[in-house]
Amino acid sequence: DSHVQYERVGADVTMKCGSMDWDAAVTWTANGTDIDESHLNGSYLILKSVDLSQSGQYSCYEGSSWHLKYQTYLRVGTPPKEPVLMCRSNNYPKGFYCSWHLPTPTYIPNSFNISVIHGTKDMVCEKDAIPKNRCHIRYLQLFSTVKYKVTLTVTNPLGKNFTTLTFDEFAIVKPDPPESVVAKPVPNNPRRLEVSWQNPSSWPDPESFPLKFFLRYRPLILDQWQHVELSDGTSHTITDAYAGKEYIIQVAAKDNDIGTWSDWSVAVHATPWTEEPKHLTTEAQVAETTSASTSSFMAPPTTKICDKGAMVGSGAMAVCWTAGLVMAAYSVLFI
Amino acid sequence: MAAAESPSAALRRDLCSRGIRLAGKMRADVVDLLDAYVEQQGLDASASVAAVEGVPLAAVERWDEQTGTQRLLENLAAYRAFRALLAQMLEEQREQLGEADAGLGRALAAVLLQVSAFAYHLEELLRLESREIPGEEEEEEEDGPPPLPRLSLFEQKLRGLGVLRELAQWAVRSVRDLRQLAKPSPAASTAPGLAESP
Repeated sequence: DSHVQYERVGADVTMKCGSMDWDAAVTWTANGTDIDESHLNGSYLILKSVDLSQSGQYSCYEGSSWHLKYQTYLRVGTPPKEPVLMCRSNNYPKGFYCSWHLPTPTYIPNSFNISVIHGTKDMVCEKDAIPKNRCHIRYLQLFSTVKYKVTLTVTNPLGKNFTTLTFDEFAIVKPDPPESVVAKPVPNNPRRLEVSWQNPSSWPDPESFPLKFFLRYRPLILDQWQHVELSDGTSHTITDAYAGKEYIIQVAAKDNDIGTWSDWSVAVHATPWTEEPKHLTTEAQVAETTSASTSSFMAPPTTKICDKGAMVGSGAMAVCWTAGLVMAAYSVLFI
Repeated sequence: MAAAESPSAALRRDLCSRGIRLAGKMRADVVDLLDAYVEQQGLDASASVAAVEGVPLAAVERWDEQTGTQRLLENLAAYRAFRALLAQMLEEQREQLGEADAGLGRALAAVLLQVSAFAYHLEELLRLESREIPGEEEEEEEDGPPPLPRLSLFEQKLRGLGVLRELAQWAVRSVRDLRQLAKPSPAASTAPGLAESP
């Protein structure tokens, strides 16, 4: 007859060999390995102050016939400590979710039961398939001053524990961080960075429930953040960046009226535009850079006309100047 | 998609924007008032106050399914009730007046003014929706008229707490309601209310 036996860490465990008499000759094994007789008291197996490593299959065999008389699976564990419970609405005004975990493992199976009460009304928190320790609730009412009370009870074969959270509808509203944060240099502006982002996709109705944003940025070389709060829009231009320094930028979101700020978004890095030395090598390329906003227009190799080696007497200057004029004309066409 | 907006649609959007700002300011002031009230009245901020008779509850089911007109009418009824309740609180405050409460009285009066202004603003929006403004007498047909039987001092304080808490909720709800109204969508109002295109 096989079954499972749960015992606390540190407990003394006595196992009987089924219906065998105390003075019967038996052999005990643990996970197939014979157990020394020093652990026996008659046919009883005595395990003092069990620890986690002693979990396993214990079998008892009749001495002479080696018939299996008893088998049990010993699971050593602990009763649950007070669970950690968190509830949050990242999809306001649709509903909220609660998630939980145990602060320390019990090493044995636990079951969780959650109850949600709004005033006198019981609500059902539907368990999510993934992740396991999570459930969600749809709001039946909005703008209620009546608090929600969530009680989580965790039970295992060695004991139970519980925790309770009480909160109002507005307090738990916390959006997910903004998504798709992008930071780009602004051409010809050595102190600017253009940052844009999107509302978190979990926020169901940003038009009716607009978010406001908090941007923080700093050069990598400094520890101090600059902060900007933005009441609308999903973009911002930083205008006081240090030239040539790489920046780290993050954005957070909050419902315009209630709740708390989201966590910071994934950090993005960007460096403001700098004037590259190669942009200044020839007059032709300077004209091209300042007039064209894209780099699709490539300077034809007219610079060769002005190469030192190509200069022949006084006529070379006139040729260079003409080439520059032609270049300027081409540049104007591409604005 | 961006067809030329009719004058009344533009006006409605403008009124909604202004209403949103009014409600936002009102809410900020009510929250400050609530903090001061709790402190000065010696109350526990986390105390649960049972729903008080005559105090309009902001809580609503199926909020997203409400029509524009429903929103306006419910808001108007609520703020008219708050106007009466705050006036009563102010009177009670003056009766109990000590030096320490003078500031509280002024803050109450300021919020009362904003509540009145907001109620008027809602009436403007209703007129725009070509809706008849309900008479205020309708609000007094209940068994318990606004001037309730004399409460003990403690009961007055608790009721005041309940009034301000609900008002703070209403201010948030009103912002949401007005945003819904401001949406350029046919579902934002009942069909008769869409008397914008001549």
